[in-house]
Amino acid sequence: MAEQLPLHFEFRANQTFNNFFPGTNQEIVTHLQNCIAGVGEQQIFLWGKSGQGKSHLLQACCRDAQSQNQRSFYFDFSAALPDPIILSGLDNYELVCLDNIEKIAGNPEWEQAFFNFFNQHRDYSHKLIMSSSVAAIEIAIQLADLKTRLNWGLSLKIQVLADTDRIAALIFKADQLGFEISPQVGNFLLTHSDRDLPSLWDLLEKLDRASLVAKRKLTVPFLKQILRETNSC
Amino acid sequence: MSSIWNNCLSKLENEISDSDFSTWIRPLQAIESNGQIKLLAPNRFVLDWVKEHHFAKIEESIHEFSDGKLDLNLEIGSKKSMPPTTEKPVIAKEAKKASPHFLNYAFTFDNFVEGKSNQLAKAASIQVSENIGKAYNPLLIYGSSGLGKTHLMHAVGNAVLQKKTSAIIVYLHSEKFVQDMVRALQQNSINTFKDYYRGVDVLLIDDIQFFAGKERSQEEFFHTFNTLLEKKHQVVLTCDKYPKEIIGLEDRLKSRFGWGLPVSIEPPDMETRAAILMKKAALANVVLPQEVAFFIAKRIPSNVRDLEGALRRVIANAQFTGREITTEFTKEALHDLISLQDKLVNIDNIQKTVAEYFKIRVADLSCKNRRQSITRPRQIAMCLARELTSHSFPEIGDAFGGRDHTTVMNACKRINELKEADNKVAEDYSNLLRTLSH
Repeated sequence: MAEQLPLHFEFRANQTFNNFFPGTNQEIVTHLQNCIAGVGEQQIFLWGKSGQGKSHLLQACCRDAQSQNQRSFYFDFSAALPDPIILSGLDNYELVCLDNIEKIAGNPEWEQAFFNFFNQHRDYSHKLIMSSSVAAIEIAIQLADLKTRLNWGLSLKIQVLADTDRIAALIFKADQLGFEISPQVGNFLLTHSDRDLPSLWDLLEKLDRASLVAKRKLTVPFLKQILRETNSC
Repeated sequence: MSSIWNNCLSKLENEISDSDFSTWIRPLQAIESNGQIKLLAPNRFVLDWVKEHHFAKIEESIHEFSDGKLDLNLEIGSKKSMPPTTEKPVIAKEAKKASPHFLNYAFTFDNFVEGKSNQLAKAASIQVSENIGKAYNPLLIYGSSGLGKTHLMHAVGNAVLQKKTSAIIVYLHSEKFVQDMVRALQQNSINTFKDYYRGVDVLLIDDIQFFAGKERSQEEFFHTFNTLLEKKHQVVLTCDKYPKEIIGLEDRLKSRFGWGLPVSIEPPDMETRAAILMKKAALANVVLPQEVAFFIAKRIPSNVRDLEGALRRVIANAQFTGREITTEFTKEALHDLISLQDKLVNIDNIQKTVAEYFKIRVADLSCKNRRQSITRPRQIAMCLARELTSHSFPEIGDAFGGRDHTTVMNACKRINELKEADNKVAEDYSNLLRTLSH
């Protein structure tokens, strides 16, 4: 019998607070939501290892801001530094989220441009959320006036999830994708594949497709079979 | 927001990656009129990017949801009549619409915590606010970043305003002065620019070190400055260093900045840091026990912004967990920050920094040499180790060649006395503290 081919449909889960598994990072979610609602901090600096969901959270903030009729802007510096003109006009935006802000360190033109933007944006009491893989104190910003400003607001470290939380996160994510996995399957995935969250999410999506093709539930024996087949390819 | 654009957004967010959607699509503001939908981009960069990468998809969506009745038009702009962007002409009147003086009303003399490190600057600022154009003109407040220069500057403006509500006061950052001038030149409105800045009663310009290397701005500022002083209008300036030390600033400006009173602000001592924390906590309606304030002040020895950041962390965590703010709780809340501080400031790098500063060998700090050229740096290093780290007296003694803890105690006592009596020691200590805290 020919195997059933899944309809080519890329599931695109938008990055929201609802589909973020907070685990031990619930405090961060609360402060970010309060910030957007205008009842919390005006400036938040979110830092921690990559792959923990900082970009997800920043984009969730922009989405929340939009639902509250606030203008928002998000930019990720991880790929390359654009012309600093990209900051002009943004002091008018109620929310600006800058991802991987540490990348501007050591670039005098960008440090100066960001410093100017920072002052004007703050003068209007608008909200600024930044993320970085390291703490603000560790970023090698050359412009002293800018360096002290990064530490000014609320600084929050995103915690790496413990294994029990990772299993819960896998179950949560599978549920978001529309299927179920047991804690045993979650545990198996943690011990037999890359444990960083982005790799686990990728794997979940692949497993979802494989279970659709084989019309089988995701069980440990089935997982072993899939991983064996994948490894032998 | 246009309902058609809302529909387009809902569609596009499922077709474009979240990151791209948040950067290029969501920030666009829609205006629907006269058979077209105009999308406003915040700047040229965003506009060009959207045109190149997303125009077709946006246009297709708009046609779909408007049954082909609306055309798409992309422009740079902003929907609300907000304060200046670099794309729009702005000075004087437009700027005033946004906020009359650009003063932060929260910065007053009452909530400025005074200590030895800043009392002269505060006293001079009060004098200036009570005798505009007569006491010290210009008043120049200088010192490292995050020590309260801007607070004092706003406090001057607010105090003047309280007495004379009609006073024309303008606070701005030096970069804003430069930007406004460039724009005025581009738009042939330099005379309006000149009239505006030369017509104010009090001009407060922050961070004048950023004038360095900008000759045309210096020229314009020089004339603005002269006009205001001739009219006996007040000028208050801040700088991160003594102006004579700024490279790229014209000599005639350096000289004029010194005409009035240059006053420095030094990093606050521990007692002042604790008082600042308690004042800021009170402003946030939070009771901060004194012992907690001293704990944070001891662990965050650098500048007021760092202190404020640490306090925010403690308050935010207390509000989230509902726990009482105690020293134990604060240790937990600031655990990450304290670990980083410890990593960055430890006895080894204190010794290295002090040795470099006094041009001696690191080994000299641990040897038995009793020459004053060695003992003084050694005492300063011990005192810094006591102030900047959590090591005990015996531990510090061990790190300095196995000296007794009483030697460390005496060194700290001696240096604290000398900081009061000997300007050179005070300056050396302050310089080292600043270097190690950043």
